[in-house]
Amino acid sequence: MAPPIDSYRFLDFATRQIMRAWVEREARTTRPIPWTPMRRPLSECTVALLTTAGVARNDDLPFDQEGERRDPWWGDPTHRLIAQGTTERDVRLYHMHVDTRFGQEDLDVVLPLRRLEELAQAGLVGRPAPMHYSIMGYQLRTEVLETVTAPAIAGDLVARGVDVVALVPA
Amino acid sequence: MGLVQRVIEARGIPTVSLSMIPAFTRAVGVPRLAGIAHPLSRPMGRPGDAQGQRAVLRALLGVLESALAPDAYVELPFAWPETPAQARKGANVHPPIEQLLMKKPWLLPRLYSGSIPEGN
Repeated sequence: MAPPIDSYRFLDFATRQIMRAWVEREARTTRPIPWTPMRRPLSECTVALLTTAGVARNDDLPFDQEGERRDPWWGDPTHRLIAQGTTERDVRLYHMHVDTRFGQEDLDVVLPLRRLEELAQAGLVGRPAPMHYSIMGYQLRTEVLETVTAPAIAGDLVARGVDVVALVPA
Repeated sequence: MGLVQRVIEARGIPTVSLSMIPAFTRAVGVPRLAGIAHPLSRPMGRPGDAQGQRAVLRALLGVLESALAPDAYVELPFAWPETPAQARKGANVHPPIEQLLMKKPWLLPRLYSGSIPEGN
């Protein structure tokens, strides 16, 4: 059996200290966890993806990096739609806390739209959703994300008839 | 990410998260979670490694079918070919909060505790 994953192994010293403190803080709060059972097999599902890498299409509004420079405790809490078929040539990554070189070179590193299409071709999933979702993961104040952005994304997913969502961090 | 996942799931759509820091995502409380021993910034794998990325996505989506109850947690069996030092090589990441805390280190406890200053 492989050893359990060390959540802190790849983090630099400062980030490791912060994450340990946050894990302790979260562990003191227990919330009921929502649950929706699968209604159909994955091979029949429309699948949407969500990235936290702060990806925005070049024909869309960028994430607000200037706002974060003015107030480093703030991160842009809005979201962007990313159409199926979008590639690294069509986007920029605006997350200032991650190394964006990799996702900028190959979007599938953070938002695997081509891989999803391949799994659909192979019959493992039903089909990619027409639209996918991007947020910027640096959110110390979470109120807007929780009360405005997440419900807007959820409403859009329902309206588009999406069956399941996979969330990919950055 | 976990907070958004919770809202989507509560709206009636099954969800699964990938995490490179599963201890944190799990502590937030999510319905389905897959931990992966990849460095930050490369959740799905290395650029150009379509086969590796496809295997990760397939395993991640598989958790939607294998999970039976809330707080389902699976560790994906993928190893990273570099040491942490190699994985960080060449990174040029300097977020504004890091620069602020170098100037005003007494604010660091606020970041630890989550007692975040109000906006200006």
